Amino acid sequence: MSSRKKVLLKVIILGDSGVGKTSLMNQFVNKKFSNQYKATIGADFLTKEVIVDDRIVTMQIWDTAGQERFQSLGVAFYRGADCCVLVFDVTAPNTFKSLESWRDEFLIQASPRDPDNFPFVILGNKVDLDNRAVSAKRAQQWCQSKNDIPYFETSAKEAVNVELAFQTIARNALAQETEAELYNEFPDQIKLNANDNNRNRDGDNCAC
Amino acid sequence: MSCSSTEDLPEQYKELFTQDGVLLKACIGRPISDLNSIGMLCIVQNPDSTKCIEWRPNDLITIDSDTQDQEWAVVNTIGRRQRTLSGNMTSDYAAARARIVKIPLDELKTFKVARNSQQMQFSTKPGIWQNTFYFQHGNAEVFVSQLKNHLKTAKTRHDRNTYVVVEPNTESQVLNRSFAELDIFTENTTDVVWGLVSNFKQRPYETTMEAFSKLTDIVYYGNEGLNGQRDVSDEVADLLTKSMSALEDSTSVTKTEGYEVISVKPTLPPRPCIPRGTPLSTEKWEGLQDTDGRILEVEGVKQLIFRGGVAHSIRHSVWKYLLDYYPWNATHADIRKIQKKKTEEYFSMKLQWRSITEKQESRFSEYRERKSLVEKDVNRTDRTHPFFAGDNNPNLMVLQDILMTYAMYNFDLGYVQGMSDILAPLLLLLGNEVDSFWCFAGFMEKILSNFDIDQAGMKQQLLNLQQLLTFAVPDLAKHLATKDSENMYFCFRWLLVWFKREFSFSDIMRLWEVLWTGLPCANFHLLICVAILDAEKDVLISGDYGFTEILKHVNDLSMCLDIDKILSTAEGIYHQLISAPHLSDQIRIILGIPTASNKNPEDPSDTDIPEQENGKPESREMEEVTLEYNGLQISVVTKTVWALLA
Repeated sequence: MSSRKKVLLKVIILGDSGVGKTSLMNQFVNKKFSNQYKATIGADFLTKEVIVDDRIVTMQIWDTAGQERFQSLGVAFYRGADCCVLVFDVTAPNTFKSLESWRDEFLIQASPRDPDNFPFVILGNKVDLDNRAVSAKRAQQWCQSKNDIPYFETSAKEAVNVELAFQTIARNALAQETEAELYNEFPDQIKLNANDNNRNRDGDNCAC
Repeated sequence: MSCSSTEDLPEQYKELFTQDGVLLKACIGRPISDLNSIGMLCIVQNPDSTKCIEWRPNDLITIDSDTQDQEWAVVNTIGRRQRTLSGNMTSDYAAARARIVKIPLDELKTFKVARNSQQMQFSTKPGIWQNTFYFQHGNAEVFVSQLKNHLKTAKTRHDRNTYVVVEPNTESQVLNRSFAELDIFTENTTDVVWGLVSNFKQRPYETTMEAFSKLTDIVYYGNEGLNGQRDVSDEVADLLTKSMSALEDSTSVTKTEGYEVISVKPTLPPRPCIPRGTPLSTEKWEGLQDTDGRILEVEGVKQLIFRGGVAHSIRHSVWKYLLDYYPWNATHADIRKIQKKKTEEYFSMKLQWRSITEKQESRFSEYRERKSLVEKDVNRTDRTHPFFAGDNNPNLMVLQDILMTYAMYNFDLGYVQGMSDILAPLLLLLGNEVDSFWCFAGFMEKILSNFDIDQAGMKQQLLNLQQLLTFAVPDLAKHLATKDSENMYFCFRWLLVWFKREFSFSDIMRLWEVLWTGLPCANFHLLICVAILDAEKDVLISGDYGFTEILKHVNDLSMCLDIDKILSTAEGIYHQLISAPHLSDQIRIILGIPTASNKNPEDPSDTDIPEQENGKPESREMEEVTLEYNGLQISVVTKTVWALLA
């Protein structure tokens, strides 16, 4: 195995209430689905080790409450994110329409160094249901218009595309992380701007 | 500990010894509002040369107005005020004077020191401890040694902490003797004492510091000599070691350019361990109602519920009062009227949204969104509990209907996540849709600010929690600050739904009913948070947990918490806080206690009991008793309540 230091990737899942954020996270990490997950209050995270290009990385996946008014506190958890996953429910057009504001809000609150190239991934969830209301084409078009954000159609319930989507999330997050390392090859004392410090510090001291 | 100057005192009364930081914990015949207030315990000589022990509330201590503008004002105790008494005595002072507790020495039969020198009890009748005092600084032994100058005592055989008074000691040279025995000064005792007294008036700051510096010497070096010369039992040695290390822990020395800055962190008084009581039983509850069904002893009932909760079999009834569905003074007939009126009101609100047609709905996106949000949450509320489990469970429909109707009841708020969690235990217990709705509405009234659109209420609580923690568990607060966690966000879930996610249904019912009483202070739920965190302190600090680990650890405490232990700890912390000499106004405001500057001198501890509606303390007219219950000194408002408790 490589002698490079252990990498921790912080991934934030966002999206309207009830689109399946907790379910996707649990399907990916625990390979389980339940329709009895309670609505998330506050924030929680799960971790999972994955191999990306022969490299073991730990994904720390953050799940927050979906209702809009709780976002003002959720932002505390955005800091140091390596990738942001935006989820909508393909049977609920409103949840699709909200993607734009979720993305904007994240960029404002997390203020990544390079917002134009910060990795996002869009998941259209609940494709197992037959009352679909947002077409794949419409979703893809939107993603293309936003600097080609990768788009996956998933079902947390039937484990469709979940693994694949999170592999992509990990890869894109790692690319972001590696880039961040390059920026930070200077000693810690030299700080180009305040936001550069958080990412690596969080990554280093977490033993999860 | 000080021997106060006697020159200001009226000639007849002579203070022989006073000790600060003494709380009145129990006193038979005194109202509960007099208890837990801080004051000083004195040995006083009466004009007829008899002596007595006197406890005086701190309200009697005033700051000398002449010296107030100085950096260090001279705090003048009793003396000046007593002089004023003969002149124009204010009613506040009369009330405060009335709270003085006197125990004539010639009536004193036994006294006892307990809890590591933190507590003293006095008895003038065999078999009853009339007065219990709590020594904040754990120095009851000092008082005992002074008291022994005035009394001849013998220790009882079965308990070496209990003293039996053999005969009062009439020795007159006690004042000099007590100084000689203290052996603080190597110089001529009398000169030093007089020097100290006169210097204190002229240079209070320097003199105090000088005296303190000598005290440090005694603490550090006196101990060695003691060990070397005397045969100290292992237990005492242990205690000394403990207190020495505690002293070292709380003292930090920093050297700056030739000066040694010694800062002593103020520490809280020890935390009393207060056992939980038994739940309010059917018999007690029924006994508390008059023939028409009115509940008369509301504060007494609340106290019982605060102590032990409510027996499950009568929760469906008691909760309706606690949640303001039924007024406490409602008769059976009133209740029937209220039920009828509230049922009609509920169904008319329910009809408002039920009568929206599908066509209407298709043109009303906000309504659709609200309804779908409720639906989504109802379908994932406590589905593992049998009451809500399974497909097409009719109880889910009731949950949905109540939440939708609440959105009609409170249009501005609508539905916010967390509300279904709040409602579920109420519906489970009450079963009935209308009752559950009104109890839910009553509960929501108490926690409305949790659901503010801008989360201002939650932010304020998180801030207050951080402030309480900083005061009550400073080392943990410090750790959190170094880990970017001082915002306390990891407690968000606890606060939003009042710990609903952390406990089983039966435990959450107990916790909620205790919190609904509003006792013993405002924001007691924040002290519940402090109690839980205090128990996790060692894990969080010694594990050097960071931001993510703290959140994970706290989230994982869910369903692993002991409700009785937490309630007991939280109450203990409450007592620690209110008896802390350095209690800040910030903390007072959070706990709803009058601030130091704005304190009502008549009754500093009246926050224990919410004010009576008519402004006049009703309890004064009733009989108040303090009795020991499960080893705990509690004072109850009326005899009726006590009889039911016993």
